[in-house]
Amino acid sequence: MEDKVIEVNFGPQHPSTHGVLRIKVKLDGEIIVDAQPVIGYLHRNAEKLAEMGAYPKGMIYIDRLDYVAALNMELGYVLAVENLMDAQVPERAQWIRMLMVELNREASHLIWLGTHGLDMGMLTPFFYCFRERERILRIFDEITGSRLLYNYFAIGGVYSDVTPKAIEMIKEWTDDFVTKLEEIQSLLGKSYIYVSRTRGVGKLTADDVLSYGVTGPMQRASGIKRDVRKNSPYLFYDKVNFDIPSRTEGDVYARFLVRIEEMRQSASIVKQVLEKLPQGEFYNKKYSKPMLVRLKTTGESYVPTESPKGEFAIHLIGDGSSIPYRVRIRSPSFANLSSIPTMLKGYKIADLTASVSSMDPVFGEVDR
Amino acid sequence: MNLFFFLMSILYGIVKFLHINFVPFTFAGYPIGLWIAYFIVAVVEVVLVFALSMVAVIIIIYVFRKYMADAQNRIGPNRVGLWGTLQLIADVFKLIQKQDIIPTAADRTAYRVAPYLVFTPVILGFILIPFGNVSILNLMVVNFNYTILFLIAFMTIAPVGEIIGGLASHNKFSLFGALRSAAQDMGFEVPMLISLISVIILAGSYSANDIVTAQRFIPFIVPEILGFIVFFLAMIGRQSIPPFDLPESGSELVSGFSTEYSGMRYGIFYMGNFGFMALSAFVVAVVYLGGWEGPIFPGTIWLIVKGAVFIFIFLLIWISLGRVRIDHLLQMGWKYLLPLSVINLLISACIALFFGGLF
Repeated sequence: MEDKVIEVNFGPQHPSTHGVLRIKVKLDGEIIVDAQPVIGYLHRNAEKLAEMGAYPKGMIYIDRLDYVAALNMELGYVLAVENLMDAQVPERAQWIRMLMVELNREASHLIWLGTHGLDMGMLTPFFYCFRERERILRIFDEITGSRLLYNYFAIGGVYSDVTPKAIEMIKEWTDDFVTKLEEIQSLLGKSYIYVSRTRGVGKLTADDVLSYGVTGPMQRASGIKRDVRKNSPYLFYDKVNFDIPSRTEGDVYARFLVRIEEMRQSASIVKQVLEKLPQGEFYNKKYSKPMLVRLKTTGESYVPTESPKGEFAIHLIGDGSSIPYRVRIRSPSFANLSSIPTMLKGYKIADLTASVSSMDPVFGEVDR
Repeated sequence: MNLFFFLMSILYGIVKFLHINFVPFTFAGYPIGLWIAYFIVAVVEVVLVFALSMVAVIIIIYVFRKYMADAQNRIGPNRVGLWGTLQLIADVFKLIQKQDIIPTAADRTAYRVAPYLVFTPVILGFILIPFGNVSILNLMVVNFNYTILFLIAFMTIAPVGEIIGGLASHNKFSLFGALRSAAQDMGFEVPMLISLISVIILAGSYSANDIVTAQRFIPFIVPEILGFIVFFLAMIGRQSIPPFDLPESGSELVSGFSTEYSGMRYGIFYMGNFGFMALSAFVVAVVYLGGWEGPIFPGTIWLIVKGAVFIFIFLLIWISLGRVRIDHLLQMGWKYLLPLSVINLLISACIALFFGGLF
């Protein structure tokens, strides 16, 4: 029996590892006996680099953590810094942040949906997802001036206001996004092949989820209905109506359904934010760049936020100097990845790609 | 010598089929003139069919890329030639220019032979397809009593090329691809052959020509709808195109058996796959849709139209479905397709027993 087991390296250069994930897999025929994730191929020392400059300078490293949802990363940092120095943020700026973050969650989930389709052997949904994502990126381009890494949230507000043209674009997008999503979902969810390949695959029980610290859609697909936006609202999430989708199966199909439903909820949040967007300042003039660079604070802050991958937060410690003493990043994908051995053991090779892509890991965030 | 007699008998079959009557030139009792005539006819027809199959491959790849692009909100090739029609030729030139890389640990001979084992049977298979029955311009190169068996035999060789290529590459992913290819082909071959046997029972002949002629009133898809479903699914499985592209499975096994192949060797695999697609579309059209039989238009056009319909169905399935898992696939082959094909065999045996001479 021993001789039959062969060890295969999936990654770090492999078409379906979502970056540079390497999984050491022991295979008995097609069945996975053991799987161990190996990470660190994209390590850039983001935490230490962020600890070398003044508070606003850390932003560019934080931007590059989860590069498909950069605004969600920025939000975590900005909220932590503002909490640390008790900054006053104009109401409009907070609403704009919420709008942008939800849009970026959509963009991130669209990438996940497309690549998940690719991993299941379907090329077509990928292009549909990227078509929709492209529209969101155009909106971002209009508002922030860039498409992938924005550096848009500032301490005390946002760097530029939402233009009327951008609001038009967002309205246009919200009008038909749900129908488009339906179309993409039907390509996967109504296909017998897809459903039979994902149901009962890559199972995680509620206990597993809690013991591994798995958060986000994966957690909600395993029966734990927990969303930071609802449980400890940050911004104005208590002023909008939305549901937390959850399932109890804990398999790949449940994660698929949860994420799709989450996209619907995000679209409805965007709609509500557009209705409630107040007039006023988008930036607190008190916090100018020169002032921020010389800012000295002490204390600790930790503001959990719900990023597309799960609970994202930055533990910030100020020691009274103008640079942070510690920038500790709690990245959801890193914790989610730790569940790989449990998730894969006993399944087949084909289930490996399905399960790993259902976690939606982004390696900028895992390796920091 | 055996090969010589085999070739001669094939050539004799052609001339007999073409109804060529002339006084042969003989020397010392040997009909040398006849041999020369056979040879010329055979060469011309082989070249014609080879050209036809290559053109078919080129057209299919172009149509596939354009059609897929259209379904996916893309433009597809549009730079080389008019509407990008020459893209494939440009691709071939690019692939030929590439460095020929063979892994050091690979079995060099087997590694080199494998792509041709995939590609050659496709061309050989085209020779056996009855493309039409216009008496002197018959596009059927070879007609003897067992053409359909030879056709299936040629189609069986192609997966062997995949297996050899996968094993010779000395790469774990290739090995998995090769093993999957073997398992998949065994899973589909038996139901396919059994449903083919029911066709042979109905037609009363192993010859593709006779099978087509037997469908001049009712195509076999009507009495053998079960067999058609089995055969069609098996044909998709044999070509290893999505949803049954397990030997390659781009996302799991990198590229499966062709992981280590690059340059024109990979190109030959690629063209072999598309040629196989064309071949299997024509085989399905011949066996179940009555090949060249059809009113008004010449037979060749009918066959090409029927084949094109199947090619479009293949492409549509390719575009819209995901990949099945290996155990689901084997379950389908052994658990559903095999019993279905046996039921179909019983049905067609009953038909042949009670309405014997109808077809």
